[in-house]
Amino acid sequence: MSRASMICAGIDAGSRAIKVVLWDPARMLVLAAGAVDQGVAQESLALELLDRLLARGGIRRNDIGAVVATGYGRKLIQLADRAVTEITCQAWGVRQRSPGVRTIIDIGGQDSKVLRLAADGSIDDFVMNDRCAAGSGRFLEVLADRLAVALPALGQLAQASRKPALISSMCVVFAETEIVGLLASGIAPADIVAGVQTSVARRIAAMVGQHPPAPIMLTGGVAMIPGMNSALAAALGAEVAVAPDPQFTGALGAAVLASHRLDGRNTPAL
Amino acid sequence: MNDLPRRITMREWDDRYADLRARGLREADYGGPLRRHVDDGDDRRLLCLQLDNSPAALRLWNFLLTEEDRLGQAESQGKKLVGTMKDLGTVPVMAYALPNLVAFYPDGAWWLPCLMEDRTNLLAIADSLGIDESFCPVRAMLGAFVTRAHFPIPGMLTCSVGATCDDFSAIAQRLSGMGHDVLWWEMPHRRPPEPGEPSVALPGGFVAPASQVEFVRRELQRVGEALAAYAGRPLTDDMLAVGICRANCFRRELGQLRQLVFAAPAAPLPALEMLIAEMLAVHFCSDQDEALEVVRSLRAEAADRVAKGVGVLSPRAVRVYWVNPVADLRAMNLLEDLGGRVCGSEYLFCHAIEPIPEDLEPLEALARAALADPMVGSPADRAQRIAREIAVIGAEALVISRIPGASHCAWEGSIIGAVVRQRCGIPVLEIEVPPITDSIEPSLRTRLEALLETAQENRG
Repeated sequence: MSRASMICAGIDAGSRAIKVVLWDPARMLVLAAGAVDQGVAQESLALELLDRLLARGGIRRNDIGAVVATGYGRKLIQLADRAVTEITCQAWGVRQRSPGVRTIIDIGGQDSKVLRLAADGSIDDFVMNDRCAAGSGRFLEVLADRLAVALPALGQLAQASRKPALISSMCVVFAETEIVGLLASGIAPADIVAGVQTSVARRIAAMVGQHPPAPIMLTGGVAMIPGMNSALAAALGAEVAVAPDPQFTGALGAAVLASHRLDGRNTPAL
Repeated sequence: MNDLPRRITMREWDDRYADLRARGLREADYGGPLRRHVDDGDDRRLLCLQLDNSPAALRLWNFLLTEEDRLGQAESQGKKLVGTMKDLGTVPVMAYALPNLVAFYPDGAWWLPCLMEDRTNLLAIADSLGIDESFCPVRAMLGAFVTRAHFPIPGMLTCSVGATCDDFSAIAQRLSGMGHDVLWWEMPHRRPPEPGEPSVALPGGFVAPASQVEFVRRELQRVGEALAAYAGRPLTDDMLAVGICRANCFRRELGQLRQLVFAAPAAPLPALEMLIAEMLAVHFCSDQDEALEVVRSLRAEAADRVAKGVGVLSPRAVRVYWVNPVADLRAMNLLEDLGGRVCGSEYLFCHAIEPIPEDLEPLEALARAALADPMVGSPADRAQRIAREIAVIGAEALVISRIPGASHCAWEGSIIGAVVRQRCGIPVLEIEVPPITDSIEPSLRTRLEALLETAQENRG
């Protein structure tokens, strides 16, 4: 396979899941994407997933020209030619699929980030939550566990809410206590879920600050929960679109950066 | 042996030290291999740090890590010890004007949990005294007073209170409640003068009402009288003037070192050594003359490296301005490991670096210097000062390092960040650095790395 026709891989070793994207830079096309739950043996999990995707597409490992790893466990992916932070990769992933976006809200399993992009898609600035899970997917996981509901079903449940519960705590641990109390008081689970979504959204809105440049796009696993973007839009007073395949934006960005590496492009993060 | 500047581990310093000795290295009486501070003093964190490989850095580390011995020697020579708490650079100048006093900074114990990797139990002792982790890690000082293992208990303790730091006030009050007499002196919140109100220019570009300067002057006069009574000899204006002059010698030397290091194309000294050198301005590590010599050595080393066009980091390193000191010294290494360099700093005691006016009555000059403390004014004042300096230095990114539990850090960071974003247009990162960062190292790494990637991308 010639260098020009080689494919590139992006591996996002996130805190809750590992995501892999195979990218054909010549055709600007995602060939395959997949995710597995995160575990202790991060690299072998990533490699198994990569091999599965390759097999599904009839692609050989040798056809991969470059690999970039990102996410929490990026340094553990020995196969990768380069490790780049998830902030930079999110920006490149969104830039690839949705050029023109000026604010990215990425809500992952363990942390949340807000990226402000310049008109050309480069990052102007970013903020991340700090040593607290209150504005992250972990909050919703705790809720799903407590309500014995599958995580993806939370959004549907919230849509049945008539009066979202008021969650006063900004801490997951204390909020869980509040949730127990609300359940004991007979508050409907739907109202509790809607209340928690609002709480997460308000937390994120505080990170975003006032007057975020539009368009605003939501990425990360939490974006797949229906209603999260609406909760954010209400908290921000601005429209928030969900990214296409929001869970894979970071891995896509990593794959795009891998293609830059293959081309020898002088991209700063590489 | 390769003499090129680089950061090396403690283990590499073993060989480096032996080589330097074989080549005739001459040291001060507190010199020796750095390894002994781990073997004898249990400062285990040193094993994890990357240290500069110059003889000047060796001297700096040995000077820092032998302060306890120096205090013991001073006492045995009949000198009297003064613990000058929370004023960051004013009362030590007054104390050193009296030849039989040695001032030190008990607050410096805040680094012990880091250096000794929490084997000190100091934080646990503070916990047991009701000063838990909701307070700044400087609470380790309380534990050090209880164990009496890290510095001699001084015969006199002073502490500034009021606008300086409410965490520290609480900690020092607890100390006082445990039977340690403390001479409190009050620092007002620096406010802008009202229209028509007589005002005074302070070092660092700040302005304060003349009445506030007069208030602080009176407080310092009270402290001076207490110091004189403790020393058993008068503290005259002439003595204070000489003391100010000596302090300024150090401050000017340090200022020149900072200018040289921060402006050089390739950083001639690492951020860690610069942080330690700057800390000497607060209290001179219990020996004012030697502190000056230590900084002179560093400046000579830096000048030599700059002249040769060599440095410890790549000239491509991202130029970062750093706000607030870190509780875990590894954070400074980490920034450099990831491709950054510190090209400017505001570690909360920039007023201890500014020369004290020498053309004023000494107490008036000291009062003005004390009121220039960044912590006693509004965070907006501090932010504007930082933004001005960033613009001059040409930093490409800003790191605001929060001190966990420190109440001023909870809201100051966002104000500084907002002002710098608006005025300088550079990316800003707020991080929190606890005394031991091991468990949060991956997330700290990601944040710093992302900041550097963003700054690199902004180079275009």
